[in-house]
Amino acid sequence: MEPPNLYPVKLYVYDLSKGLARRLSPIMLGEGEGARHTSIVVHKDEFFFGSGGISSCPPGGTLLGPPDSVVDVGSTEVTEEIFLEYLSSLGESLFRGEAYNLFEHNCNTFSNEVAQFLTGRKIPSYITDLPSEVLSTPFGQALRPLLDSIQIQPPGGSSVGRPNGQS
Amino acid sequence: MAENGESSGPPRPSRGPAAAQGSAAAQAEPKIIKVTVKTPKEKEEFAVPENSSVQQFKEAISKRFKSQTDQLVLIFAGKILKDQDTLIQHGIHDGLTVHLVIKSQNRPQGQSTQPSNAAGTNATSASTPRSNSTPISTNSNPFGLGSLGGLAGLSSLGLSSTNFSELQSQMQQQLMASPEMMIQIMENPFVQSMLSNPDLMRQLIMANPQMQQLIQRNPEISHLLNNPDIMRQTLEIARNPAMMQEMMRNQDLALSNLESIPGGYNALRRMYTDIQEPMLNAAQEQFGGNPFASVGSSSSSGEGTQPSRTENRDPLPNPWAPPPATQSSATTSTTTSTGSGSGNSSSNATGNTVAAANYVASIFSTPGMQSLLQQITENPQLIQNMLSAPYMRSMMQSLSQNPDLAAQMMLNSPLFTANPQLQEQMRPQLPAFLQQMQNPDTLSAMSNPRAMQALMQIQQGLQTLATEAPGLIPSFTPGVGVGVLGTAIGPVGPVTPLGPIGPIVPFTPIGPIGPIGPTGPAGPPGSTGSGGPTGPTVSSAAPSESTSPTSESGPNQQFIQQMVQALAGANAPQLPNPEVRFQQQLEQLNAMGFLNREANLQALIATGGDINAAIERLLGSQPS
Repeated sequence: MEPPNLYPVKLYVYDLSKGLARRLSPIMLGEGEGARHTSIVVHKDEFFFGSGGISSCPPGGTLLGPPDSVVDVGSTEVTEEIFLEYLSSLGESLFRGEAYNLFEHNCNTFSNEVAQFLTGRKIPSYITDLPSEVLSTPFGQALRPLLDSIQIQPPGGSSVGRPNGQS
Repeated sequence: MAENGESSGPPRPSRGPAAAQGSAAAQAEPKIIKVTVKTPKEKEEFAVPENSSVQQFKEAISKRFKSQTDQLVLIFAGKILKDQDTLIQHGIHDGLTVHLVIKSQNRPQGQSTQPSNAAGTNATSASTPRSNSTPISTNSNPFGLGSLGGLAGLSSLGLSSTNFSELQSQMQQQLMASPEMMIQIMENPFVQSMLSNPDLMRQLIMANPQMQQLIQRNPEISHLLNNPDIMRQTLEIARNPAMMQEMMRNQDLALSNLESIPGGYNALRRMYTDIQEPMLNAAQEQFGGNPFASVGSSSSSGEGTQPSRTENRDPLPNPWAPPPATQSSATTSTTTSTGSGSGNSSSNATGNTVAAANYVASIFSTPGMQSLLQQITENPQLIQNMLSAPYMRSMMQSLSQNPDLAAQMMLNSPLFTANPQLQEQMRPQLPAFLQQMQNPDTLSAMSNPRAMQALMQIQQGLQTLATEAPGLIPSFTPGVGVGVLGTAIGPVGPVTPLGPIGPIVPFTPIGPIGPIGPTGPAGPPGSTGSGGPTGPTVSSAAPSESTSPTSESGPNQQFIQQMVQALAGANAPQLPNPEVRFQQQLEQLNAMGFLNREANLQALIATGGDINAAIERLLGSQPS
């Protein structure tokens, strides 16, 4: 059986601490070289999760510019159409804008989820482990309430999903 | 022996269990594995046999998730699981997770006819999306008359449909596919005048059941409709193609600006999905699928991947057909639905058929039309169906009640405008003409192909006569009128439809009648326009043995009357004096304190009799 087209799936990693983090957050999110924003790029589109819900843009099209590193997650057979359906369901359920939490339910969570869906593999653990790293420091704990209120939404994308539940 | 026995012994027992196992494996259930199925929204565990196929798996899933198997898309390790695969083939073992996407099927896509898609590409025509639906509503119904137009489309598919409403929608699609037609229609003063009556338009819109549904779901729409200002503005815009285009551009600009505002796109999208899309889809059902389905396919399901990149110029390519992509305010959607709606409802159609009459002329000139007409003539059944359309009947009814109107309609037909003598001649004949139309005998004669042919032959004879002995013809006129009419109507066997009609036109007595007849039911090609009214008149008269408008309820009838009056009022150069028309409104204005009769009258004329708007106008001109 001929496999249908395989679409490469990549993970774009943006190191926020290089610039934005210092502005986005007063505390040193830069500690541990953390503060990473990730997005999944597939079907020539970049998809990410922020406080505005799932968004998409052309690859490298957010204000963050080109990614700092690109990780090849694998390939997927999932077509764009199915993927977008999937995304919009996600956007209504698990990844609504208001569900965004800087530490526990952030862009990396999303990227991880999508990567698994698309390829069955997860994204590198150093990315997903960051929040717990920060939280495990007393510093992090103390500032947790503040951090919880931080919402990152890289501008330049447009929303994916059917906000008014049209599915 | 013992060895053998022994050797065979152990093997036997081992084979035994092995065999047992084998047989067990063969007969009994293979190992059941637990697979987790994860959708974006939920996750469920499924216990299925290890070697089951994906198809079986999907069936189990579809029960639990309450969807159909073909809506399910299973993904594992990035691979889409096809029905004939097995779980093992993909390496799905116990405890693993398979992803599931349930496809939603709420898009009435691909209703085959390509015209709808073609329409998508026709941006050029005049009407802006905004009022697009409005003109469409009026335009498409006229085409209801022209199942003719629909047949042209059908001809390629095989003339099989005897369903009139289908034909009607086909017609609409043809219309959409042809911007020239659209432009012609828009420029027709008749249409314009009809559009200038907001009440009429509102009725048109409201009468459409689909529209009504939409209104129930979205009350803003009804507000919109009831707001005379907006209606008026919309109609004005509809009337003025250039203005419409401008409006469109402005809207698009505004929209794209909106888009670039963070969060703006969301709002737009919400607007779209809430209001416009259902309308569009409803509208599109008539026009054969959502032309934007592919464009935004990704837009609709893809949530903005496309639009996000550029200023969304997608709407521009096809603003007119169903104006969805513009995502403009409900107004647009209103108009959209109007367009769609009008296509549907027969009551709408009725009013519109009247309008249709005049377009028939321009329409007939297209080659598609002509082939269509040919087909129609060849298929009496079709004519029968067409003639029996309820709205035709009611139109006929109204026309007969108002012979002046019929006269005016006819006179406005392009055919006649070029030839005033024809008009003069036709005018006196009209009442009798209409009477004839109502005559059931005539009707049945018209649906009888042989009778038609005979009539046609008579017509031919007359034509010949006209060439040979022009002097004799006028005397034939009165009696021949209807006869010829019938003839004209008749599909002609040997004679190409074009033939008889064409040359006939110049002959005064026969000319008008000839084209008129065919125009109606068979719409013999070449009969350009000829009395739109007569055409439909004939058609509508034909089928109903009982000419009583049983099918039309009171309101519809009224609507038709109004329609007819609008026609009469709008088209005739001799308008019933605006003063007379607006008598009541003038009095009201007077009572309110607007004493300047001239200004009142002006205002009333400008607003088409809408008092509130007139008052605003008056106030606007007097800075207080």
